[in-house]
Amino acid sequence: MQNIIDVQGLKKEFKSFSSRSGLKGAFRDLFTRNYTIKTAVDDISFTIKKGEMVGYIGENGAGKSTSIKMLTGILTPTDGKIVVNGMNPHKEREKFVKTIGVVFGQRSQLWWDIAVQESFRLLKKIYNVPDQQYEEHMKDVIETLDIGPLLDKPVRKLSLGQRMRCELAAALIHNPPLLFLDEPTIGLDVLVKLRIREFLKRINEKYGTTILLTTHDLSDIEALCERVVMLDEGKIIYDGPLKELRENWAEGKQIQFQFSEEATLEELQHLTQEHLVVWEKGESDLVWVASVEADETVISGVIGKVTAAKKIADLKILEISTEEIIRNIYVEGAVRHG
Amino acid sequence: MEYISIFFQYVGQYLKTRLTYRADMIVEIFSDLLFQAVNLVFILVVFGHTNLLAGWSKDEMIFIYGFFLVPFSIFASFFNIWDFTDRYIVKGEMDRILTRPVHSLFQIVLERMELESLFGVVTGLVVMFYAGDKLGLEISWYDPFIFILLVIGGALVYAGIFIALATIGFWSDSRTDIMPMMYNIGNYGRYPVDIYNKVIKYVLTWILPFAFVGVYPSSYFLEREEWYTYAFLTPVVGIVFFLIAVTLWNVGVTKYRGAGN
Repeated sequence: MQNIIDVQGLKKEFKSFSSRSGLKGAFRDLFTRNYTIKTAVDDISFTIKKGEMVGYIGENGAGKSTSIKMLTGILTPTDGKIVVNGMNPHKEREKFVKTIGVVFGQRSQLWWDIAVQESFRLLKKIYNVPDQQYEEHMKDVIETLDIGPLLDKPVRKLSLGQRMRCELAAALIHNPPLLFLDEPTIGLDVLVKLRIREFLKRINEKYGTTILLTTHDLSDIEALCERVVMLDEGKIIYDGPLKELRENWAEGKQIQFQFSEEATLEELQHLTQEHLVVWEKGESDLVWVASVEADETVISGVIGKVTAAKKIADLKILEISTEEIIRNIYVEGAVRHG
Repeated sequence: MEYISIFFQYVGQYLKTRLTYRADMIVEIFSDLLFQAVNLVFILVVFGHTNLLAGWSKDEMIFIYGFFLVPFSIFASFFNIWDFTDRYIVKGEMDRILTRPVHSLFQIVLERMELESLFGVVTGLVVMFYAGDKLGLEISWYDPFIFILLVIGGALVYAGIFIALATIGFWSDSRTDIMPMMYNIGNYGRYPVDIYNKVIKYVLTWILPFAFVGVYPSSYFLEREEWYTYAFLTPVVGIVFFLIAVTLWNVGVTKYRGAGN
């Protein structure tokens, strides 16, 4: 399969001027300025193939937005090579942007005071979409996103969730083969999120649209992306399947027992002495948590032993969430490969 | 051409929005008219004391003012870029502009147009015909064409200067008061340049060529042959300044740093 995005050694530096403190400092600034060079994106390389859905994650300031802006042709890279859809985004900007769709969750693509369909019509003109293609494609998009009833309302009167769905539709007017989504679900309620995810999955299947998605909401990534690219301080610290990330990092599981009668540490340790178990007391005297390795025989062994000896009211097997995994990775600063 | 059709789509949309806020539009046209009236009164007051100023009569001055209004109104309708830095750079609206397949400056012209200002063209023509009649000027068949050419030249001079100033925003997004100052300097172009000293005259001709918006092109219609060379330079100066400005703009876009996040 061909590469839709090919990034080699991409780098972006911002030169910023740092002012000295006080009046004296301000005077000195007039003559000699202190410039600091901040490397927002530091030598990253990756490729994305047609039809992939990739999650692009990282903390605030990790360089996500900056790299997306370079990929979409908004910013000029300091160094490195970018080829997206066979073009250099910044050099051939006007031709290039016809082949991509962009949604910035925090910024509207639509005109504030005019009706949604008027915005669509202007965009149709801007992208020079033939009537027939527009009718066919947009009918489907409008139906799937269920925005038909919103079309004659001005954008300023829409709720955030309604607006976001319209934004998505607007980004797809020219049916681009590649879609960039920067925080598309920020501030949305669960139902709208689900609908947007379903919609993205659908266009990915139907049109083979490649999607690059940045988000803080990891449930988006879990629902949509098989592959994640993780950034930290401008560098890629992980690039691979989400599944592998989970397997390598989510070592062990926790079993939470809620007993109907009191239990003591010694008692529990005695019960499970043949396995490697760490017992911890939970929220109350009746709740105990056993941390074990993620191995079926161990888990069922522990549960069997404990439930045979003691009466329990509730039992939960806790898996470490992706969110926790990511947090762990940031704490350690690098990703171990399994 | 594709751009022309996009232009009309925007104009249509603009009119539709404006017609829903009728009161707004009337207030705006009214305040424009008031502003133009104040300027005219100023000229009349000056000539209440004297009939000639550096060899120019009152009616000639009024004619120049009338002419100036035409290119200026066209500029004011389409190049509302005095708040470009604030609106597009600081607030990051430029991001959106740059993700669309149309030249960025053209998009901003379309988004920011204020067609009400075109009303000034009518005022300008009325003032010119009034003054021209008093001066007994005659109109030849080719005069309207020359008029259009000179008006376009003048509007391009204005546009060029203000676009060039707006591009500063790509390099530095700090606040400057240069834009209002430039509007003031622009006003000097509507008085005959020989009433100023040499330095100012030079600046208004070659550096900030506002004289090509008012006095130089008008001198053609006022049949002041000593200025004809300058009058016919108007379209050239307009095109040169506009092209320089667009080039600066294109370079500026590559320096765009994006907003905060």
